Amino acid sequence: MDTLIIQFLNGLVFSMLLFVMAAGLSLIFGQMNVINLAHGSFYMLGGYVGLSTVRLLDSFWLALMIAPLAVGALGVAIEYLLLRRLYGTHRHLDQVLFTFGLALIAADLIRWNWGAYVVSVPAPPLLQGQVPFFGIQFPLYRLSLIGFGLIIAMLLWIFIERTRIGAIVRAGVSDARMVSGLGINIQLVFAGVFALGTALAALAGVIGAPVHSLYPGLDFEILILTLVVVVVGGLGTLKGAFFGSLVIGMADTFGKAFLPEFALFIIFAVMAMVLLLRPSGLFGLKAS
Amino acid sequence: MTTNKVSGVTRRELLKLSGAAATAYAAGPLLSACGGAAAGPVKAGVLLPYSGIYAVLGESITEAMKMYLDEIGNEAGGRKIELITEDTEMTPDVAQQKARKLIEQDEVDLVAGIVSTGVLYGTRDYFDASKKLLICANAGGNKISRDMKTPYIWRASFTNWQPNWPLGSWAYENVAQKVFMSAPDYGAGHNMVDAFANSFQAAGGEILGTQFTPFPAMGDPAPFITEIQGADPPMVFCFYSGGAAVTFVKAYGEFGLSGNIPLVCAGFTVEEDVLPAQGEAALGAQSGLHWALLLDNAVNKKFTAGYKERAGKDANVFAVQGYDTGRVVAELLNAVQGDTSDVNKMIDVMPGISFDSPRGPFQLDAKSQNPTQHIYVRRVEDVGGALHNVVIEDLGAFTDPGDDSLG
Amino acid sequence: MIAIQLTNTRAWLEAHQRLVLAAAAITAIAYPFVVKPYILSLGIEVLIFAIFAMSLDLLLGYTGLPSFGHAAFFGLGAYIVAYMTSRNELALGLTDNLLLALPVVLLATALVAVVVGFFALRTSGIYFLMITLAFAQMLFSIAIRWSSVTGGSDGLTGVPRPALGLGGFTYAFESRESFYFLVLGLFLTVWLLLRRIVSSPFGMTLRGIRENEQRMRALGYNTFRYKTAAFALAGMFASVSGLLLAQYFWHAAPQNLYWAMSGQVLIMLVVGGTGTLTGPILGAALMRLLPNFASTYTDRWQTLLGLVLIMFVLFAPKGIVGVLRGGRKQP
Repeated sequence: MDTLIIQFLNGLVFSMLLFVMAAGLSLIFGQMNVINLAHGSFYMLGGYVGLSTVRLLDSFWLALMIAPLAVGALGVAIEYLLLRRLYGTHRHLDQVLFTFGLALIAADLIRWNWGAYVVSVPAPPLLQGQVPFFGIQFPLYRLSLIGFGLIIAMLLWIFIERTRIGAIVRAGVSDARMVSGLGINIQLVFAGVFALGTALAALAGVIGAPVHSLYPGLDFEILILTLVVVVVGGLGTLKGAFFGSLVIGMADTFGKAFLPEFALFIIFAVMAMVLLLRPSGLFGLKAS
Repeated sequence: MTTNKVSGVTRRELLKLSGAAATAYAAGPLLSACGGAAAGPVKAGVLLPYSGIYAVLGESITEAMKMYLDEIGNEAGGRKIELITEDTEMTPDVAQQKARKLIEQDEVDLVAGIVSTGVLYGTRDYFDASKKLLICANAGGNKISRDMKTPYIWRASFTNWQPNWPLGSWAYENVAQKVFMSAPDYGAGHNMVDAFANSFQAAGGEILGTQFTPFPAMGDPAPFITEIQGADPPMVFCFYSGGAAVTFVKAYGEFGLSGNIPLVCAGFTVEEDVLPAQGEAALGAQSGLHWALLLDNAVNKKFTAGYKERAGKDANVFAVQGYDTGRVVAELLNAVQGDTSDVNKMIDVMPGISFDSPRGPFQLDAKSQNPTQHIYVRRVEDVGGALHNVVIEDLGAFTDPGDDSLG
Repeated sequence: MIAIQLTNTRAWLEAHQRLVLAAAAITAIAYPFVVKPYILSLGIEVLIFAIFAMSLDLLLGYTGLPSFGHAAFFGLGAYIVAYMTSRNELALGLTDNLLLALPVVLLATALVAVVVGFFALRTSGIYFLMITLAFAQMLFSIAIRWSSVTGGSDGLTGVPRPALGLGGFTYAFESRESFYFLVLGLFLTVWLLLRRIVSSPFGMTLRGIRENEQRMRALGYNTFRYKTAAFALAGMFASVSGLLLAQYFWHAAPQNLYWAMSGQVLIMLVVGGTGTLTGPILGAALMRLLPNFASTYTDRWQTLLGLVLIMFVLFAPKGIVGVLRGGRKQP
């Protein structure tokens, strides 16, 4: 029985990590209707930038600030110079090609700069150690991931639901043309959303690094996971990203606990089932 | 605009098709502009992954191989040795095409390399058909020494069985009589677990449980660690490599198992390439492998110092295998006096190849076409501020049985 | 400048159609005897992937269904033929004969396509993309897990080259040259069949569905049936390429089913140009040959490939085909 409770906690931890990973993608896809296959790359880059920050400045907390800023800036540059030529549903395939090309370049350059060896990022001293929980020692850092996830969820919720900018973003999700018809500079909004999305991805990369370390190939592992989460939850809503993360996080954890060899299978089976019952995901806005 | 139809297809369409095909065909001969036959130096093709998750292995093997060849002046059997490297991208089909390039286009005399077992199995038929010698620098899939044997593939590395079978009975006698096992769900994972279990059970041990984790991407290991804790075993045996090894061992430490449940593993799990990232979590882990960084023999001391200077990093078992592959090539060329024209002559001298390797005595076994070598039990210890594998026992020499009788 | 030169070239080609066709035919037939064996090998690989990419074109380019799981059918073709024909201890080793193997592969693939399509074709757009990914990944995990049948992560080795014929009149495509002609023949067959399909009323309906499915339904078409048919056909053609790949490399591997393979064929198609049938061929050539060529000269070949893809998006959004066509209107 204790094992079950601990697995539940594991599931919660993983769900929150997934949420942080997926929030950025959900935002970009939902708001700008842009397929971003480089999402995992931004995540991984954030992790590596965080690693360098920790190595140079010896502070995890600084890394949490610097990595999103740096990667977000890169995101803005890419959006402004290149990506904004590719907006529109009819250009989805072009977005696929473009962001895939980006992902290839990013993976190669990251490996060139930081090497192919697996590198780990230590958790901040404040969050190291364990906490006794139902008979075992549960890692404090993993517990804090739950905190991270909830804080980010709350901040995002406040931003989206309670601020004027957030209202504009929400309107843009529903009808971009209408929004610009109201005299709002939709280009700026898009740029901002993309910056926020990539910064979130980078932040997630720093937060996740102490758990799974950094290595070539991480980017695409993360991409596939977040695509699944975002689609299950439904595109365009924070609620979707949050509950999608919970569903997939729990399915993965309990799948591994009871049917370890089928864990991979289970995530995709769950996604397929959700899509069949609710073709736009759990809380999706757009009808398919 | 003429629209003559040829069985429902317009001329224009056929033209487009021809144009497309012509472009595709023309690209080929453009490629043939590179490479070509040359008499004189021995050309050795090197087929390794230089991209993707196994890039570290490819790099280590190549660096060490070049180091050995530099030591002998890039010459053996009276001829210069030239390396031509190609990236397998860890995909069997791509690897086979690259093998074709090396053998048919670059006309190499022999091929060295191959990191992953999937690629080894996927290219086996090609080496067999083209009758070209492959000296495998890593891939440990048992079958190549057993039912999938071909005279053209020899190993300078190991079989997945080899470092684990001796470890099983050792663990029974020295650590605990019951074990919980964990490995990724693919060929190598099963090979390693089977080998350990075979001797462990033969000694009287009991297996409390086995978990096979998702491959290729394990994802979050926490549920697996929790399962292990739930089973409360006196010992855990595991095999992981690369990113998964780091993630698993780190989680093992984070959940407090490191000090409490002895971890006995296949050496790759805590090898030098992943130890720095694993950190304290790996401290005290015991493992079985055919080499250790701090193995105390003269050849190894010279090798590790040289590698550290050349590559800027500590050597790892893959580097040793690369180094020995270079040596095998050199010994082979010396034995045939540089005559690489007859592959059968080269095969005949292979079993005779033996030398002192950084791993100790190295002798190619005729039956398994794999080295007979010593297996060492190592423990991760703090050595002067850094974590390394220290040899705590030499279990003696072991040869792969060449069949499935021992797991 | 280049546009004018291309136009002039095109005009010349138009005027000398017979000559060009004859030249192409001679090139195709003489190819294996003129180029080095390795180049022949590359040609075979490009043709196989061209078939794969063309099959996806039917689905994506003509019906508007973006599949991220097309490797499932590719891998199915590879594994079924491997299991049927390999002399491996795991497989059946029944026959080398294509006359038996091919129909089994096609039938099995069609069945899987209909079953998967029953579920997947209820969605569209990004959701269809993800659900096809899901099914392909599930197939991949089965291939890795079910090692007693599929060989697990090692795959099935020992797949023989095919033979074709009846009784005494059987020809074995053992040599690389003969296998090339088999592949070429199947490539041309698939191309002709696809040509027929897309220009038929059925193909027009598919295009209508791509343009506006609701309108087609309003017009009385059972779009679900049409989409299922397209899905099955695309799957069958893909399985042919998978079959050829397994036979050429004597090996069926789980990588054939992995999402990276689905991604690669999708990229091939987009780079080459969708909805054209010649685009996929060029895309296949680019995606298979460029990395191969570049990785010999530089470690940064992935960056190079990424840059090439981005260049295409920015400057040639209609793909390679678009570049060759210039500003000409579609017929």
